[in-house]
Amino acid sequence: MSIRLQLLVVALTTLVLPWAGCQYARELETALRDSQEKSLLATAGTIANALSAQPQRVFRDSGDTQGFTASRGDLYVYPLRTQPLLDGYRDDWGVAADPAALPTSSGYGARVQAGSTERYLYLYIEVDDSHFDAEPADVHPERDRFDRVDLTLQQSGALQESYFFATVAPGLIAAQSVVTGDQRQHRVIEEPRIQAYWLQTSAGYRVEARIPLSFVGPHLWIEAIDGRGARRAGVTAAGLPEGGRLFFATAGLDDLLSTFIRDGTRVTVIDANALKLGAAGNLSAATAGETEEEAQSWYRRFMSVDTSSFPLQSSAPDRLGGNSVTAALAGQSHAEWVRSAADQELRLTAAAPITIDGRTRGAVFLEQAADQLLGLRDRAVTRLFNLTLLATAAAVIVMFCFATWISLRLGRLRNAADSAVGSDGTIRLDMPESASADEIGALSRGFERLLARLNEHTLYLRTLGGKLSHELRTPLTIVRSSLDNLESEGLRDDQRRYVTRAREGTQRLQSILSALGAAARVEESIKQAERVNFDLRELVSSAIAAYRDGFPQARIDLELPPDPCFIRGAPDLLVQLLDKLIENAVDFCPAGGLITVRLERAMGNYVLQVQNDGPPIPQALHGRLFESLFEQRQGRDDKPHFGLGLYIVRLVAEFHDGTAVAANRSDGGGAIFTITLPLI
Amino acid sequence: MGYDSAMKKLIAIVEDEPALRENYAAALARHGYSIKTYGNRATAMQAFHIHLPDLAIIDISLEDEAEGGFDLCRDLRALSAELPIIFLTARDSELDAVSGLRLGADDFLTKDVSLPHLAARVAALFRRIDALRRPGNAAEIVRRGALIIDGDRLQTTWNGTPVTLSLTEFWIVHALARNPGHVKNRQQLMDAANVVLDDNTITSHIKRMRRKFQQIDPAFDAIQTVYGMGYRWVEEPQTGSR
Repeated sequence: MSIRLQLLVVALTTLVLPWAGCQYARELETALRDSQEKSLLATAGTIANALSAQPQRVFRDSGDTQGFTASRGDLYVYPLRTQPLLDGYRDDWGVAADPAALPTSSGYGARVQAGSTERYLYLYIEVDDSHFDAEPADVHPERDRFDRVDLTLQQSGALQESYFFATVAPGLIAAQSVVTGDQRQHRVIEEPRIQAYWLQTSAGYRVEARIPLSFVGPHLWIEAIDGRGARRAGVTAAGLPEGGRLFFATAGLDDLLSTFIRDGTRVTVIDANALKLGAAGNLSAATAGETEEEAQSWYRRFMSVDTSSFPLQSSAPDRLGGNSVTAALAGQSHAEWVRSAADQELRLTAAAPITIDGRTRGAVFLEQAADQLLGLRDRAVTRLFNLTLLATAAAVIVMFCFATWISLRLGRLRNAADSAVGSDGTIRLDMPESASADEIGALSRGFERLLARLNEHTLYLRTLGGKLSHELRTPLTIVRSSLDNLESEGLRDDQRRYVTRAREGTQRLQSILSALGAAARVEESIKQAERVNFDLRELVSSAIAAYRDGFPQARIDLELPPDPCFIRGAPDLLVQLLDKLIENAVDFCPAGGLITVRLERAMGNYVLQVQNDGPPIPQALHGRLFESLFEQRQGRDDKPHFGLGLYIVRLVAEFHDGTAVAANRSDGGGAIFTITLPLI
Repeated sequence: MGYDSAMKKLIAIVEDEPALRENYAAALARHGYSIKTYGNRATAMQAFHIHLPDLAIIDISLEDEAEGGFDLCRDLRALSAELPIIFLTARDSELDAVSGLRLGADDFLTKDVSLPHLAARVAALFRRIDALRRPGNAAEIVRRGALIIDGDRLQTTWNGTPVTLSLTEFWIVHALARNPGHVKNRQQLMDAANVVLDDNTITSHIKRMRRKFQQIDPAFDAIQTVYGMGYRWVEEPQTGSR
């Protein structure tokens, strides 16, 4: 795994930033939600206190509120915003709730809904009756059987007034009542102030009635009676003296409540039955977050708060439910997050009891959509998320660049280390990056120190021969001069024999020592060589002529260019170079073999080649042939080869800014030494 | 040994290696010289102030002083301009030889030289000095054009001007000029000069000799390099006779 990759992986850990951001946002949301709960609860409490100071504006009846019992025929009167048309349809009531079923024991389906405007009570009665029984022309309600709806109103005091709705034909009708004449005879008269519309439908009929509020007391009884059979639904005053109670919303309470709240919050005041007395405000405050809906969705997946555990808030149009309401009606303020049953939207609800004279008579219920909160959170989180992602991306990019840089530097260092010690043993002491102050710089400097020590050691080894020869020379001289003296003393022949042997030994020692020291001397003399302009072609040709004399056993072929080859250099050194190359070639050329010397001009260089027949250079020796004191291949003679010859060749070639290369002939039948010398 | 003198010549050997010192002293004493040996520069200089030897053989490194011989040579040359001085040293670098000869030494021998060779060198030096002191008897004179080589005095002149050659150089010129046009390889030149040198030292000797001649005559070109073989003396055709 490359450093770059490693650092990239490390850089990816900065992804923890967005994660931390999400965690933070979640906590933020919790905190916000908490504070929102508190503030909503406080608002609810404030409103409840304000309302309990003026109960007459909240509750229609000053006394105790009765319990709501549907089976008794109790009806909640929905406040109507507009005056509905009397047409048998309640679409224009604006009430979402379905009519409530009238209690029945005979399976007669009838449903009723009440609503009120400022002046009228509206009743909507729906009866399932597949057969329409019209009212007879001369009607006797006691005797005649026809489809009708009885309505008994309790007016002020104990006075009750009974009406019934029936018709000959569907359409606009008036309520009728039975009056008892002077002759105790019953008579049916119309009450024109109570208007109704009779609508016949496939399932039955509907009556939408309008009753002035002045006719209406706290109780009423409604009963739908089938024209045939004995089926009926509802309650009568006779059957149930208490009657159905009407629960009105409090007039003017909506306006009062609307002064308490701001946009985005809905306040509802309920009585002890949890029936709505009044409401104001709406939840769908215009939020700016709507346009971000698309952007939100993708990360909400990662970090949305799990809302499924929140209780569902049912929203009946007439009454409220839920833990908050229950708690408030029990006298405890309570706030709770709920999901709306209709659209699963998260809402905050808070309820506070309205306590009058120590009794809880109702509650203030506040609702707030979480949209606001979510919008706030979403904006914050989006920004946070984007910022941290940006930071992460930047960090990754920076890390990647940094890693690339590091690995480039390391690569440079590695390349330098690879090539620090050349194939010819030369050591490059300068390493890249050594000026940097960091660990790579330290590594580079470490390399430099290592190389310097290696170089010192190499130099020591190189000069060892020279030093050794120098140090050994004095004792050798002592031995030799002693032998000289000994010979001068006049020796017997048998003694002289040993002296001669000793002398031969010293001579061999001597030649080895001068070979050892030669490298240093050659280097020195090369340093001091002077450069002159001369014709290389002439030098080569005259030298080769001399070699032909010097080595009569060798066949030397010479190929020269047609023109003179002028070069600036040290002719003596070049002759030495040739000497060594030819000596080498002769040593390895078998008897009768051919040595070819070729001088040519190629690409700005003079190329001097010496080829010889003979054994190829072993692979292991390539690149080391030109080293000082390298023990060479075994020649044909028994002379020890210290390999100084080719070392001199290299030194001379380098003195002329050229190169010396040894290779095997492609046919494997010999070696080629190629010297390349630049023209100038 | 071709010298005659009522007194034995006194040779001072300054050499810090006792065994070597004694060997040299024994060999030279055998040739009839009286020998004084010194182990270091201080004792040698002390003795020289009192009495100058006829010839001094000096090692370059003396005990602690790596270049003590050079200093000694300089001091000795200050005491006497004519005193022959031979450097005999284990150091064989080109630079040492040049420095030694530049300081006024008459010869520079490495310790590879054999004792008989050393004795011959010494004798040759004495002969030169004696010949210089005596009126010339034109014993062994080689004339090659502008070059005159006096084999007795070991003296060389070019166009009448003396060329100050060291003994080695003298013998090299001598060997070359005796047979003009003949190529002498390096080994032959070394043999002639009675020295064991490597090829490069011969090359630098030749170079130095050319320079010395060129100081007298910038047009000097008599010593020619024959690449791969050696050197030869080229006689200008218009001048000189045998």
